[in-house]
Amino acid sequence: AVVSKGSRHYPPLRALQTSAVLRRASDEHKKAPLTSSSQQHFDSPPAGHQPEQKPQGSRPSYTGQGGQESEDYESEEQLQHRILTAALEFVPEHGWTAEAIAEGAKTLGLSVAAAGMFHSDGSELILHFVSECNSKLSELLEKEQKLVQLGEAEKKPIDEFLRDAVEARLRMLIPYIEKWPQALSVLLLPRNIPSSLNLLTSMIDDIWHYAGDQSTDFNWYTRRAVLTGIYNTTELVMMQDSSPGFEDTWRFLENRVADAMTMSNTASQVQSTGEAVVQGLMGAAVTIKNLAGLNQRR
Amino acid sequence: MAAVLLCRCRALLSRPAGAPRARRGLAAGPEMHFGFQTVTEEERREKIYQVFENVAKKYDVMNDSMTLGIHRVWKDILVHKMNPCPGTLLLDVAGGTGDIAFRFINYVRSVRKRQLQRKLKHHQNLSWQEIFESYQKDEFNSLGDSQVVVCDINREMLKVGKQKAQHLGYSEGLSWVLGNAEELPFDDDKFDVYTIAFGIRNVTRIDLVLLYRSKLITPALSQALQEAYRVLKPGGRFLCLEFSHVSNPLLSRLYDLYSFQVIPVLGEVIAGDWRSYQYLVESIRQFPPQEELKAMIEDAGFFKVDYENLNFGIVAIHSGFKL
Repeated sequence: AVVSKGSRHYPPLRALQTSAVLRRASDEHKKAPLTSSSQQHFDSPPAGHQPEQKPQGSRPSYTGQGGQESEDYESEEQLQHRILTAALEFVPEHGWTAEAIAEGAKTLGLSVAAAGMFHSDGSELILHFVSECNSKLSELLEKEQKLVQLGEAEKKPIDEFLRDAVEARLRMLIPYIEKWPQALSVLLLPRNIPSSLNLLTSMIDDIWHYAGDQSTDFNWYTRRAVLTGIYNTTELVMMQDSSPGFEDTWRFLENRVADAMTMSNTASQVQSTGEAVVQGLMGAAVTIKNLAGLNQRR
Repeated sequence: MAAVLLCRCRALLSRPAGAPRARRGLAAGPEMHFGFQTVTEEERREKIYQVFENVAKKYDVMNDSMTLGIHRVWKDILVHKMNPCPGTLLLDVAGGTGDIAFRFINYVRSVRKRQLQRKLKHHQNLSWQEIFESYQKDEFNSLGDSQVVVCDINREMLKVGKQKAQHLGYSEGLSWVLGNAEELPFDDDKFDVYTIAFGIRNVTRIDLVLLYRSKLITPALSQALQEAYRVLKPGGRFLCLEFSHVSNPLLSRLYDLYSFQVIPVLGEVIAGDWRSYQYLVESIRQFPPQEELKAMIEDAGFFKVDYENLNFGIVAIHSGFKL
């Protein structure tokens, strides 16, 4: 029998077909399934196409057809997101590899072949993890900011703020610290550099934003460059740190942040000294011109 | 499929010399009344069966000589793309002589070896008792529970495959089943990966073609795709290695020339069977190109469908997931 659905012309409608796995996003929130009577309102499955696994709950009713992306079915990206999240718990054992992704897919009830959706070197898994950590950091910083705004907490001085933010972010690596060097090397592959650099810069940007930086001049760049340097070096130190509770790493971090502060003080001192020197020179030049009689008006 | 290398020898097919076949009538579209021999569906299936029956013993030799051995690389690439981990259940349809199955087993074995080595490295500080137990557990599991089922419609091809397996020493994790790709003798949701290498062309029923939305799509082909969808587990992968369309015009001409001049001759010299290879070449020409096949796979319900051209489109690997 010839399949006669209009899926080719309405790509979003494909999500409505009995997808075996893409489940309704609303399933996560709703407990009671919808009534099955609503199944009559849209395309019935084409003849010959046997749906072997109906998604949990029945489909919602639609008045329109095609073109309307169903809000309830998750997209492929969301499914991939779920698989990667599930795969994270297998990373300490298998490393950042396609095997960890396969195990993750298994826990979701999918076949291990689903790991084929991702690249075989585990790049997507690592990038997913990094972006998750960055989101968590943002949430943390926002919560702190709210507390400060409500007056329930003291506003921290800049160096302490930066120190705490970087420490919080690095602590998220601790469960995966053994395999993290592998992840770092994968992130440096030419293919991944645009994405990993993007994630890094947006994280640093976030930290400075919550630190209250509103500069619009060249300082914007120097601040971010400095903090990126601090973050990267501390991360590398953490990789080979074997002290209890990573004390050495936090001490290193403290020193680097202090260095940065001193440097910025020095920079502004140099600038004002420079200005003073220039003014002095200008004055000297005018004096000399007066002495030489060049300034006289005839 | 042996016709490897092939390509669309349009010149070859339009000549009145040679066995009159329904194919040519078909190529002209609705002009099937041109007087060429038409065959019924049953007869055609018979003919294809006979083609492979005749070709079976020389199948591998012909493959090697016609593609100059490149078909091995294509099949290697297919298995690498699959990247199976131990514990995968593979269904290799139209896999007659077992090429994909053997490669799968080799791949899984080496992955498994690496896994075991890694585990051993972790076991540096175990007591003797624990080490003893771990050896007992892992020792006889060199494939990690992976299995491959080779399914083919042709008994001769399966026979050749079994002999090859015995000769090369493959015994574990392999099973041979007689079956039709349009109606697989398996339950739903069974396999992790479904592959069909150079076989999906032969599933197409040439005489009963329907002009479906102005494209030549046969019910048999979509039936095969739907069967593939059915037997795969949720999350399972569909992989198809097949001859396809070369878009580069210069290369296309060279390719046509090669298969026009060389293939038929090789067929006669090596296998003593000109007609079988003519059929095979024709079937390649009739097969839908990359984008159309991709659309058909999507129609069967697969997601994230993609294709990769090998050798500028002489061969293409299509991949889809049952999500």
